Amino acid sequence: MSFFGFNTTLPRDRAAHAPHPTQAPGFSQQVDAFAGLSGNSNEKADDDGYDFEDTYDGLGDKLDEGDDEFNDETFGGGNAAAPGKDFDFFGSTAKVANAINEEQLLYARGPKKPTQPAPPSYHQDHQPKAPSYAATTKPKPQPAPKHQVPTEIPELKPEMSIWNTTSPDATPAKNLSAHAAAHFSHFENSLQEPPPAQPSFSQPAPATRKYKSLEEVEAEILSKKQARLAAAQQPSQPQLPPHTQLNQQDGWPGRPVQGFPPHPQMQLQQPPHQQIELPFPPRNMPPPQQNQRPPQNDRTPEHLQRGPVPQPGPGGQLPFPQIPTNPQFQGNNIPFPMGMIPPPGPPGPQGPQGPQPPFVGMPPMQPQIMQMTEEERVKFLEEESKRLKRNHKIAQLSRYNGLMTPSDKNFITRIQLQQLVSVNEDSFNEDFYYQVYMAIRARNNPQQPLNQFAQTYLGQQGARGGRARRQDNHLLRMQQQVQRAVAAAKARPKASQLVLEGSLGKISFSNVKTPKPLLSIKKQDSTGVVEPGQKQAHAFAGIDRRSILAAAEDIYRCLLDLDSHERKHPGPSLTGQQPDANTIQWFEVRDALIAKLWRSMRIMEPIKEEPNALHPFIAILSVKKAKEAIPRVFRYIDLQQRITILTMITISLDQVDVIKDGRYAPDTLSLSNETKKKIEGFSQYVLPPLLSYVGDAQLDVITGLLGILLDRVNVLLLSQTQIGLAFLTMFTSRAEIIKQANQADDQGVLKWTQTYDRLFEVLEDHLLDIFPPHGAQVDDMYVWQFLASMAVGANMSQQQKMVAAVKDRVNDNVQASKTLPQEMGQHKLANTNLFLRALGLDIDLLLS
Amino acid sequence: MLFFSFFKTLVDHEVTIELKNDLSIRGTLKSVDQFLNIKLDEIQVVDEVKYPHLSAVKNVFIRGSVVRYVHLPANAVDTALLEDATRREAAAQANKAK
Repeated sequence: MSFFGFNTTLPRDRAAHAPHPTQAPGFSQQVDAFAGLSGNSNEKADDDGYDFEDTYDGLGDKLDEGDDEFNDETFGGGNAAAPGKDFDFFGSTAKVANAINEEQLLYARGPKKPTQPAPPSYHQDHQPKAPSYAATTKPKPQPAPKHQVPTEIPELKPEMSIWNTTSPDATPAKNLSAHAAAHFSHFENSLQEPPPAQPSFSQPAPATRKYKSLEEVEAEILSKKQARLAAAQQPSQPQLPPHTQLNQQDGWPGRPVQGFPPHPQMQLQQPPHQQIELPFPPRNMPPPQQNQRPPQNDRTPEHLQRGPVPQPGPGGQLPFPQIPTNPQFQGNNIPFPMGMIPPPGPPGPQGPQGPQPPFVGMPPMQPQIMQMTEEERVKFLEEESKRLKRNHKIAQLSRYNGLMTPSDKNFITRIQLQQLVSVNEDSFNEDFYYQVYMAIRARNNPQQPLNQFAQTYLGQQGARGGRARRQDNHLLRMQQQVQRAVAAAKARPKASQLVLEGSLGKISFSNVKTPKPLLSIKKQDSTGVVEPGQKQAHAFAGIDRRSILAAAEDIYRCLLDLDSHERKHPGPSLTGQQPDANTIQWFEVRDALIAKLWRSMRIMEPIKEEPNALHPFIAILSVKKAKEAIPRVFRYIDLQQRITILTMITISLDQVDVIKDGRYAPDTLSLSNETKKKIEGFSQYVLPPLLSYVGDAQLDVITGLLGILLDRVNVLLLSQTQIGLAFLTMFTSRAEIIKQANQADDQGVLKWTQTYDRLFEVLEDHLLDIFPPHGAQVDDMYVWQFLASMAVGANMSQQQKMVAAVKDRVNDNVQASKTLPQEMGQHKLANTNLFLRALGLDIDLLLS
Repeated sequence: MLFFSFFKTLVDHEVTIELKNDLSIRGTLKSVDQFLNIKLDEIQVVDEVKYPHLSAVKNVFIRGSVVRYVHLPANAVDTALLEDATRREAAAQANKAK
């Protein structure tokens, strides 16, 4: 019966064995581990399940069954008084511990009984990972594999002795400290009692091996060291734990210096050994001791020397030549302990190591070095130390190699990439400025942005990057990888927010777009978050500045929507082909957006009858950003809408701020800065699209517009402003071009001439007033342009009137140009000349 | 992301970074990240007399949080586009808030 009172017999065997008293103290209540299987009146389950005979290794029989009489004392027996509240836990535990230790000592010392013949199939069942070896070897369950390989390495012995003298399942012994184990081994050595071979042990061979005592081991190390020092080839060894030393030694002494060059494969194998040797004993490959062998093995064929072949015994044979050198095990860092594969251990004299050969403590290379010439030796030693240094460095650097498996790395990468991917990623939305800026740059200068793309490889380039991609293969690959990974990360979106129950807000997780996590407080629905656009669309409060600005933003919002919609253009459909559903839908959406844009400009709102009522569109147009929006609006609207805008502006021209404020107040020489900027903005943004439209307009349109102007607007007032004159110039010059190109019928020309005459009548007495005041530091080119356009269309008498009116001004300019610096003078003359040329004259006539 | 997007376009332009400790560094912007950390090359401290220990430094990495101002090269900024980008950003924010 076992010490703890486990009932190690099957129920059916119970009768045969001396039964343990069921009332026995200790743990006897829980004894039968198989009771659950067999006790439920299902005796056959025993045969179906684990066969106890197969799995039982006979340990129970080896246990000392004596001394059970103290169990009660140790564990508190049934008849002992119940422990009071002041139960001495430590004391009781210590008693138990002492008893266990004693027991172990006794057990370790005791002679081993031959084990039961039952084969250790249990272990094989639990070693499915080593099927290929299972046939020839019996894997053993201990996870400290590397010591299994029999070597001459003395440091390992203590623990080996444990295995040798105890069975795998004798757990207490396994847990002994190395020191204690050494003690035991010493013990055993002194007994000099070779235990009989134990074929049933999964653990191979070494039962009969003789183990050195600690003193012997130390002596051996010492002698080795001295030999090394004598050879003067060992670089200074770092202070490493014994294992380290061991492996480092393993690396060098057996190097085949004795004739044949190192096998290439062997060389290849060394790095993996080095990489994984130290920090991970469980993963350890067998140390590179395949190189290390007594000299008599030197002629062993190479293929036998590599791979995890354990150190052969003094018999000089490699006992397990059939063990494959499994490169997979060495290449990848599968944490499968190679040492789990013990030598198959033909039981008997071969496996166990007998007495060490006398030279075993010496580095085996020593004789070869002796045979070398001095030169060779120096050279060899140099190389050797170099190699060692390198290996050492590699070992240091690669300490943590294989710490992460590929799937670990994948996992980390996924996490990182998820950070990069926001939930609803639209790169054009998130990175709008960069993308568009680069697109514009690319359009202007195709070569320039390559560098930029390379520097921000994470920037998604879309189709525009095509050029860059082809030229930068490496970048392309990296980007593709990133894109793939991002796509994968997108495929499993993570929650972007966490809403804790009962909390007011939600916690957003950070990602690359919002590095700082935000606590976003959800707005109460009751407060009513109304979309700003909607609000204004329904109620245009008036013409206060705030609502004007809001309305202008409205226009922009529509423009941006249109822009981004434009980018989704399905692509030009082939001519003659029916556009597919996508294209149709796209155009539908586009039309809707344009309609929305059109509404947002409020141009169709009725013109109020009362004077001074500002039309919304004109009011909106007074802000700079609205003016800037006009060219963009013109890109989307059709001809009809363009003429509507032009008409609207023309009708309300005297209300447009640049006209209203554009007149020179009496006795002032300049306009206010604000007005100047407005005029500049108007002529920069609003006039060009209008001009381009007028440039294509028919004569009747021009006639009509000028007619409206004359009917509804104070043209005199208009003529005293820059923008007003620009409008007049626009109409007259376009009409003149049409007339001269003979693109209009007589009817139209006649109508135009009538309208022109009306204009001339209004202006003819105030031609001098259209000039900016004397001394104003402004460019009066626009005035001369207007006069020129008038002069071209004027008849003889009209021209004479004009010349008479502005003659003084012309002379002034000619005089002034002589006193001004040459450039400015030339400019003034050129301006004046515009008008004179239109009359068929030239400034040179005046100058001469 | 607007600023990140914006600063990316300034890569390889010369900027002046004014730090919160009043140190001003002029240099070529080499890279910027989403934290607006900044890498500058060929740097020059504006007030070199005051910070002589920086005269040997050729390039710096500036943590985004210590930047007070970035002086931009005006000709490298497309203001109209920037306005649009700002509008988009504002719209996106408004959508998110809802």
